[in-house]
Parts: sequence; C-alpha cells; structure tokens
Amino acid sequence: MNCEVVRKSLCLFLYGELSLEEEQALQDHCDSCAECRQALDKERLLHAALDERALEPSADLLAGCRRELSLRLKLAARQQGWWQRLRARVSMVPAAIVLRPAAAMALLALGFFGARWTNQTPARRAAEGATEIQPAHIRFVEPDPSGRVRIAVEETRQRIISGRPDEEPIQRLLLAAAREAADPGLRVESLDLLRGRAQQDHVRRALLEVVENDPNPGVRLKALEALKPLASQPEVRAVLARLLLKDQNPGVRIQAIDLLIEQHQHEALVGLLQELLNKEDNSYVRLRCQRALQELNASLGTF
Amino acid sequence: MDAATGVGFEEAALIRAAQRGDQEAFERLVRIYDRSVLRLALNLLRSMEDAQEVYQETFLRVHRNLRSFRLDSNFHTWLYRIVTNVCVDYLRKRKVRREEPALMETNEGVRDRLEGLPEPRAQGDPQRALLNRQLGAGIQRALQSLTPRERMVFELRHYQGLRLRTIGELLGSTEEAAKTCLFRATQKMRAALVDFL
Repeated sequence: MNCEVVRKSLCLFLYGELSLEEEQALQDHCDSCAECRQALDKERLLHAALDERALEPSADLLAGCRRELSLRLKLAARQQGWWQRLRARVSMVPAAIVLRPAAAMALLALGFFGARWTNQTPARRAAEGATEIQPAHIRFVEPDPSGRVRIAVEETRQRIISGRPDEEPIQRLLLAAAREAADPGLRVESLDLLRGRAQQDHVRRALLEVVENDPNPGVRLKALEALKPLASQPEVRAVLARLLLKDQNPGVRIQAIDLLIEQHQHEALVGLLQELLNKEDNSYVRLRCQRALQELNASLGTF
Repeated sequence: MDAATGVGFEEAALIRAAQRGDQEAFERLVRIYDRSVLRLALNLLRSMEDAQEVYQETFLRVHRNLRSFRLDSNFHTWLYRIVTNVCVDYLRKRKVRREEPALMETNEGVRDRLEGLPEPRAQGDPQRALLNRQLGAGIQRALQSLTPRERMVFELRHYQGLRLRTIGELLGSTEEAAKTCLFRATQKMRAALVDFL
C-alpha cells in the first residue's frame, strides 16, 4: 500500500469498512511512515470532534412524539371505523333482504338531515363544535388543501372541528392555541395560520402579547414574522423597541433591529440602537447593531 | 430471529397483529425502533421541531403502508428506507427555501436559535468553551456544504453506525456508490475543518 492509497483509505479504516488484509496493510504502512501516521491521527481527531456533536433525543422529546403519534393513530382509526363497521355489517346479511328498504330509509334520512345541515352556515357548524373548548386540550392544528383548518382537540371523546381560518370560532381557537397551548410546536403552527390576518385588531393584539410573553424564542420569532407588515404602526414599534432592549434571545433582538430599520423612521431608532450597543453582550447582535448605525450614518456612542 | 429476513419472532407477531389493525401491537412495534428514528432525524436536521415532524410522518407512512409489507422482507430496512426518504425530502425543501438552520452562528461560535439543543460540554473552561463553539460552527458549516445525499450517507455511517452495504440498499444504490459518497463527504468535512485539526 502506498501513501496515496493509505490517505484515501483512512476514513474507511476508521469506519471499519476495510477488509482484514487492507486493514493490516494500512497499519503496517503507518508504522513505517510518519506522515501517514500523522494523517491518521488527524483523521481520528476529526472523528472525535464529530462524535462530540452527536445529539441524543431526550426522554421528554421521545415521550411527546409517542403521545402525539398515539393520538393521531386513534384519530385515524376513529375516522375509518364507522365506515368499516358499516361495510362489515352489510356484508354479513344477504344484500337483497336489506338493501332496498335500507336504501329507501337512507334516502329519507339524507333528505331530512341534509336539509337541516345545509340551513346552517359553515361558521355556525364550526361554532357548535368549538364551544367550551379549553386551549390546553388542543393537540394539533393543520391546514388542508381546500384552505380550511383542522384542529384536533384532546378530550374524553376527541373530535375534529373544521372550518376556514377566518371563521370566528376557528379563529378564536387558533388565537387561544397560539397564546396558551402547552406545546410550542402547536403555538407556532397556530401563529402560522394567523399570519395573514394580523391586520385584524384582535389578531394583532394576540401577536403582540405572544411576542412579548411567550417563553419559547422560536414562537416569539414566528409572531414577529406575522407582525412584519404592521411594523410601521406605533404600537408595534413600541413593542419592537422593548424587545430590542429586553428579549433574552439574540435571534429575536436581531429580528427586531431588522424590522425597525425597514421602517425608515430613523431618528428614534438611532438612540435605541446606541442604548442597545451600550449594554449588549452578544457579539453578533453588537455587530448587527453597529452595522445598522453605520447604515444610518450615526455615531456608535452617545456624547 | 429469522436469519434470512432479520425479523424476530416477537417482531413478526407484532407486524402481523398490526397488519390486522391492532393499534397496541403497532405502537409496541414503533417503540422498538422509534428512538433511533428520532435520533437520525434530530442529528440530520438539527432541529427538534423538524425531527418531531419527521417522526410523525415516518410512522404514519409506516402505518398506512404496513399491509403491503411482506414478512419475508427486512422490517428494519423497510422502515429506514421510509425515514431516509422523509429526511431527504426535508433536506431538499430546506435547500430550496434556503432556510436558516436551527443553529445560529455568532462571533462567539455556534448558538442554538431555539435554545433547545444542548451545546457540547465545556466543563467550565471559557477558552475551551469558545474553541468548542468555533469548532461547532465549523462542523455546522461543513455539514451544510454537503448535498442531501452525502449528508444522509455520512449521518447513517457516522452517527447511526450502519454498514455501507446497508446504506447502499436503503438509498436504492450500491455499496460502492455509498462509499464514494462517504469519501466525498469526509473530504469536504476535512477541508472545512482544517484549521481545527
């Protein structure tokens, strides 16, 4: 084995992917070649550094995944169940005996309930399903391709409430989930569905509340994203200024700087950035702050 | 354990019961493999939220398609084929959307944007902590420079400990192709981390 082959084989050697003969030849070569021995040591260092970056899922994360999967499976089973039961029962009885009267009854029932159902607006249907639901019981929210939203609520009997995101009861649940759901992923999904509705007063208020108070920085960033079109409003700018000086997460602070700069109301911003620069510990945020002040042709400090 | 298929008797019984619609059996089957599925997604995507989504998507796909699984095949390979497909889709979507990674690079090194993932141990030594963070940022950059396929092969070999032959099978390719991919991946990593080694 020459040096070139050895260098190409080092990684496979450490992964145990060489044959016994190749391993032996490589080791023999390294015993007699200082440069290749050094290259092997470096390769070992690389492996050790990569090993240190290995992440192990926490027991909480795994348990959360299992709970959610179990819930989704139950939900899927319930959705399929009634149809399968009906098919199984019908298949056990000779078709001719039951089919004609059953079909007649079904048509009657369809007409009766159909008329009742179509008299209701979609919003009312959703409202009936959505009454008395505690935000803590909302398990997931997801949009469907038709533009409606599905919200799974955990209770003794889970049910799906479906409606458009702009329907009042659906929106009320999304707002409650965005503010109070225990799972941060659920809060993020709810905010995502509310994103285009930030112009509405109660949605904007909820977003401002989340951006200032949610304990999870990922959720706060999502709420900030939703508030982006409103960044010129004084109330939003006041919250952004507070975030800039108080939020614990550098990602949120940087996002706040970006949103404030976009609005071209620079006079108040300069003082704010100078104050931030004075107290900021995170060097990346400091760098972003300095760059912003340079863009505004302002000095870095106050005199 | 059936040597030909790699499916143990208990596992085969669980699969049969789950195929008949027994949800408890399905959940017991999931628990045999779900930690390694979650670990793969977490290490590959470096985001707890994405890893959770991959977990759900993978096992829901397994549940939907379990009836078509043949007991003379290897369940582990079948499952890993599904999870690797889901993960590669995620990696590709990320590349297309040019999303920011969960880990954020700062002048002081790499920081977790969601503050959810643990940093490597620093053990109270600030200089070592700084070096660790810089190395972490370097590794993060290097991993992002890999193609989704290289990333997947590297992940399966380095962190999941799968043999290159199995990886080739999972990715619908050959051992030789997986070897080339791993070689390219480690070469890129080595080049990106040359200052630290």
